Amino acid sequence: MIGSGASDAYLWIAIVLITLSALLTRAGLLLWGTGLKFRPVVQSALRYAPACALAAILVPDLLFVDQHLVLTPENPRLIAGLVSCLIFAFFRSMIGSLIGGMAVYWVVSYAFLG
Amino acid sequence: MQREAYWRGVRELLPAAPGIFAWGLVTGVAMVKSGLSIEYALIMTFLAYAGSAQLAALPLLVTVAPLWVVALTAIAVNLRFVVYSAAMLPHLRHLPPAARTGLGYLIGDIGFARFSALLDREPDYPHRVAYFAGGASCNWVLWQVSSVVGILAATAIPVEWGLALAGTLVLIPLLIPFCRDRPALAGVCVASVIAVVGHDWPLRLGLVAGILAGMLTALALERLLEREAAR
Repeated sequence: MIGSGASDAYLWIAIVLITLSALLTRAGLLLWGTGLKFRPVVQSALRYAPACALAAILVPDLLFVDQHLVLTPENPRLIAGLVSCLIFAFFRSMIGSLIGGMAVYWVVSYAFLG
Repeated sequence: MQREAYWRGVRELLPAAPGIFAWGLVTGVAMVKSGLSIEYALIMTFLAYAGSAQLAALPLLVTVAPLWVVALTAIAVNLRFVVYSAAMLPHLRHLPPAARTGLGYLIGDIGFARFSALLDREPDYPHRVAYFAGGASCNWVLWQVSSVVGILAATAIPVEWGLALAGTLVLIPLLIPFCRDRPALAGVCVASVIAVVGHDWPLRLGLVAGILAGMLTALALERLLEREAAR
């Protein structure tokens, strides 16, 4: 339990440090970097930032189950992700792909675990 | 017109709302379940507004890790935001410092993805800042409400139902529209592989390594294809 070892002062300072870190990484460049003019090559690379960032967050989240890489159909997260992809590709519905993916996840988890 | 753009930003973020809400809920629950008191969990949520950094910090707070380790971890986990803010810099440069700080604080994965998707479709959209402010502030509200619900109802929310997966699945429809050409697809593949390989690297550095490697791959392929087309 937190609180048994951590003092109030420790927790406050930790929270302030986390806040400052979040602010520094998100707003630091916007505050102090306004003089920067990126070269065209950097601008081109930055155009791929959203695609690469979303993939780097998404894919490990789907492939790892309890910290183990599971690439077989026994991984319900992977199945749910694939179904979500298919639904969005065919129907272009964000809500539909989310609901479909979760429904499949629950069915598959239940089938394997329940 | 600014107002219209703001609400357009809100409207175009809303389809992702269930995913944002589920993820906020799970983060709120996780903070309390790890042993953080309700007061500190609420303070952390409202001040930091950084889901992944909050989650990464929890095990450190439990073990009363040195404060510099806590700060370093939070910075490392948030490194992708430096890339996002670099991509947004040309669009925000002209604003006063307070506005740049406020909008920077609101940068998140989904808000940035929506903003980038807008610029992909309409590169000259004049009210892009208002559009971003709309989507990003909507994300903030959804996140805070769901986190507070998660914190207050931690024991009543069944996390074993896999609610966190909703926060992951919602990224799929955000990602697919960006995979429109070969460089982007190559970047996505490399980013995914590196992020998987680096999954157990310390400080979640596999994530930012994946992003950078993916961007470099996409750039290299783009230049290669351009050179071939010119020949």
